[in-house]
Amino acid sequence: MSETNTFEPKIVAFVCNWCTYLGADLAGTSRMEYPANVRIVRLPCTGRIDFNLLVKAFEMQADAVLISGCHPGDCHYNSGNFHARRRWMLFRDLLDLLGFDMRRIHFSWISAAEGHKFQQTVVEITEETRKLGPYKVYEGMPVAYPKFSETVMPLGDFSTQAELRESARKLLSESKVQVVIGYGERGPVFVTKAEDADKLVWNKECLANLTAYLKRKEIKALGKAAIVVKGCDERALVVLEQESQIERAKLHVIGMACEGLGIPKCAGCQVRQPRFADEVIGEAKPADPTDHYAALDDLMAMSPEERMGFWAEQFDRCQRCYACRQVCPMCYCEQCLVDKNQPQEIETSPTRKGNFAWQITRAFHQAGRCVGCGECTRVCPAGIDLWALNLVLERSAEKNFAYRAGVEKSDPFLIGSYSVKDKEEFIR
Amino acid sequence: MARIGVFVCWCGENIARTVDVDRVVQEVAKLPGVRCAVNYKYTCSDPGQAMIREKIVSDKLDGVVVASCSPHMHLKTFRKTAQAAGLNPYLLEMANIREQCSWVHHDRDQATAKAIELIRLAVAKVKNDHALEPIKVPVTRRAMVVGGGVAGIQAALDIADAGYEVVMVERDPSIGGKMAGLSETFPTLDCSQCILTPRMVDVGQHPRIKLYTYSEVEAVEGFVGNFEITIRQKARYVDVTKCTGCGECSKVCPLKKNKSEFDFGMGMRPAIYMPFPQAVPARPVIDKNVCAKLIRNGCGLCEKKCAAGAINFEDTDRLVKEKVGAVVLATGFKLYDIGKKDGKIAGYGEYGYGKYKDVIDSLQFERLVSASGPTNGEIKRPSDGKTPKNVVFISCVGSRDNAKGLPYCSKICCMYTAKHTMLYKHKVHEGQAHVFYMDIRSGGKGYDEFVRRAIEQDGAKYYRGRVSKITEQDGKLIVRGADTLSGEPVTIEAEMVVLASAMQPADGVTQLAQKLNVGYDEFGFLMEGHPKLRPVETNAAGVYICGAAQAPKDIPESVAQASAAASKVLITLASSELTREPEIAHIDEKICAACYRCYEACPYHAIEKAEVRTPRGVFVKHTARVNAGLCMGCGTCVAVCPSKSADIEGFTEQETYAMVASLI
Repeated sequence: MSETNTFEPKIVAFVCNWCTYLGADLAGTSRMEYPANVRIVRLPCTGRIDFNLLVKAFEMQADAVLISGCHPGDCHYNSGNFHARRRWMLFRDLLDLLGFDMRRIHFSWISAAEGHKFQQTVVEITEETRKLGPYKVYEGMPVAYPKFSETVMPLGDFSTQAELRESARKLLSESKVQVVIGYGERGPVFVTKAEDADKLVWNKECLANLTAYLKRKEIKALGKAAIVVKGCDERALVVLEQESQIERAKLHVIGMACEGLGIPKCAGCQVRQPRFADEVIGEAKPADPTDHYAALDDLMAMSPEERMGFWAEQFDRCQRCYACRQVCPMCYCEQCLVDKNQPQEIETSPTRKGNFAWQITRAFHQAGRCVGCGECTRVCPAGIDLWALNLVLERSAEKNFAYRAGVEKSDPFLIGSYSVKDKEEFIR
Repeated sequence: MARIGVFVCWCGENIARTVDVDRVVQEVAKLPGVRCAVNYKYTCSDPGQAMIREKIVSDKLDGVVVASCSPHMHLKTFRKTAQAAGLNPYLLEMANIREQCSWVHHDRDQATAKAIELIRLAVAKVKNDHALEPIKVPVTRRAMVVGGGVAGIQAALDIADAGYEVVMVERDPSIGGKMAGLSETFPTLDCSQCILTPRMVDVGQHPRIKLYTYSEVEAVEGFVGNFEITIRQKARYVDVTKCTGCGECSKVCPLKKNKSEFDFGMGMRPAIYMPFPQAVPARPVIDKNVCAKLIRNGCGLCEKKCAAGAINFEDTDRLVKEKVGAVVLATGFKLYDIGKKDGKIAGYGEYGYGKYKDVIDSLQFERLVSASGPTNGEIKRPSDGKTPKNVVFISCVGSRDNAKGLPYCSKICCMYTAKHTMLYKHKVHEGQAHVFYMDIRSGGKGYDEFVRRAIEQDGAKYYRGRVSKITEQDGKLIVRGADTLSGEPVTIEAEMVVLASAMQPADGVTQLAQKLNVGYDEFGFLMEGHPKLRPVETNAAGVYICGAAQAPKDIPESVAQASAAASKVLITLASSELTREPEIAHIDEKICAACYRCYEACPYHAIEKAEVRTPRGVFVKHTARVNAGLCMGCGTCVAVCPSKSADIEGFTEQETYAMVASLI
């Protein structure tokens, strides 16, 4: 019994059955004492641990979370921990941007022979967490706004509309395709007759990423399609092909060279000239390079509490309309995880914790897949800065793994592959 | 509504001393779905298990939580109990309130509170468990033994004599291991080769042993009962089927001065050489690093001399695949290279090994003493070939040294050092052996009597103390040490010093272990399944270990462990079918979007790209599908699946989230 009210932190540890769990058992057999604050959840392998579990643990008012498994190379299942490590590296960067207290998230490699290390790790984490105090993860943050620096918003001239219409006319009259998916006056058009080719437009309102329509059964039923894409949209085609969602041979890609739509995402664009299209219309001068990730630095200039305050205010506006999901070409799952209720991994009501869980899931499911088309941000009725969530994962992928989505279809998946050289300074 | 039974074990005093088991039972009985909660002194005992069985029947339980020791201890035990009572064994979970609670916390309140929470977690899990049936897989009724030393030889002979085919893979050009190079063995002073070579010949001639020498394990696929192992047979440049072992090639080879591996550098061998006269197989091998023909297309004398036309300079490494049901690792040991800084070992440069020719290690001394050794069994100084009159033996070089060496005891050195003093005395009657020791560890049958003999009958002088430095002066080695029993420093002018250096696992064993998912400790010794109860099994099903690869040990223990490992192999191979745990993954094909991330991520390539078709064969959609025979149940596919169409029995999303949700 203590006289003062000492705070007893609640620590949840997700550990692998073969190494860390046995290491904890060894600590027990050797009677190595440690504080009673840790609750161990046993899983077969760290490879099994999905990031959502971490978020759930914090929702359940854990004050710190430890994830621990076999040392690299020693995984009981060969490579489960390599996959886990890669996910952790990406996920940490996302959580950091959101303002989670990174001092409460711990990763370690503890082998079955390292009972002492298990004891030490638990003692250290318990004491560190005790000093940090209780963690009410989504409460008590200041409202803050980042100072975003100015960006260039290049605008091209859209003079190739006639060529586009001619090309579509030809494709349809020669029955090379059954439908041309393109931009119309007020939204996308699905032109099936050559005489309707003039419905297609090419101007600065052509913001949408039309590749999102390729997943629709109704579109697939129309037959072989031609699709109008800008260079940014074309990257989505690469990812969709990588993920076996489209058959490139059954698609006719009309690539439109584009020098900018006058919106921030166009700054420093490296894909003004489409690379994999069956035909390219127009020519674009290369863009002046810019620091693609500058806006993230503006956000990271705030403190973690300020960042979480910023995001809490944003996510509080989220109505869970899922427009961001509907418009994204990469969101093609037949049943989205958020619609699953056995178990309900993400709360569906637009509460703060449910919204954080949804936004984290959506962003993380795009890690290594988001091509930065910016559609999600454009269509969000609540004006949430969704682009930042995707951008931080894009930067994490490039910085840590030299990986860019949608560049080469023969690239392996970012999540689903690993390298033995993946960095791990943050792992005990 | 669930009907869960919770059984809280006292484990005698082990749990009950720290955890208030009565209060635990009180609290967990209140959990929704818990029908009965009882505590008992020894739940794993016969009456304890009987109580569980009775409760399952009387209370019509559909789930059981046993709060006691680690599941690694008794999960299988309690699952059998449940099954005997008619409850599916996979509807039973354990809460570890011993190794991870009562044994590591001393505060009664805190330990009790934690125990209650751990049980609540287990109850949440068991409520979501599915009844599962074990999976049957076929077994390849053959075994592989990696390592051809005395342990590997024993294991191979036991398995082969029991009627199964054994594939033996040995890295060196001959089997025999370190024992083939020893002179005489303690405590009987048996000639080592005399007792080993008949066994080696048995292996070489056994109709059921397939021997790959000069070969290594390249890759391993599959799992228990169904391993497919790729072996790299290194190029010998000699066709063993044509070669008769006449030895003429070695006689004509002009490159005679290469340090012999078998003699640990004490002798020389030609570029084409038989490892040792009793080698099995008795076939030479060409050292491709020095052979003039292989390096610069010169010489070629051996090819010209060979009457059988067995020399083949075009030879290449070959990759061979073998299917086996079980693997025994008997990869043996090496001696620590004394001067070298190796990880934590700071090196013992003060002993002058490598600097002074007459400072040698114990295996090198064995070769000097051996009748078939480089000096024909005469003990001669490597520097000038003279007979040493005073030899100093230093124990514990590198062992038992927390500061700059290895912390463990190498177990055999006290015994072989005593042996060395006796062999030295038997050969150099006027010689004097001096031994610097810390303790004498001679615990085997006849061992202590043996050491006494060395001291009392053969006059070895034993000084309890360490040696601080060895220097050279006028061709003699000045050994400065201490005698703590008399309290005096001791300086000995010796002509030879023998260092009993630490035993370490063989080089490359950790890479081999990783291929088989076998654990190893920080020193590289292979990890046994349980130090007391499973000393020859590993945590990788179907892979067994024996001999010095597991920990330092002598020949009788290595042979005993080898037979133990063989008996475990025989259990695995006993029937043509094995049951496998059903906690494997499956894919909900209704919602799978066929992105194939799981296909890429699976460490066992157990996921296939498949199609869903109607019963009439009409294509519906693409899907991923798990091959139940290959899946090992890691759950990596579940984590990478964005829609969670992939899930894994025993650790389903439902169960996992229920466990985390229970932690409020």
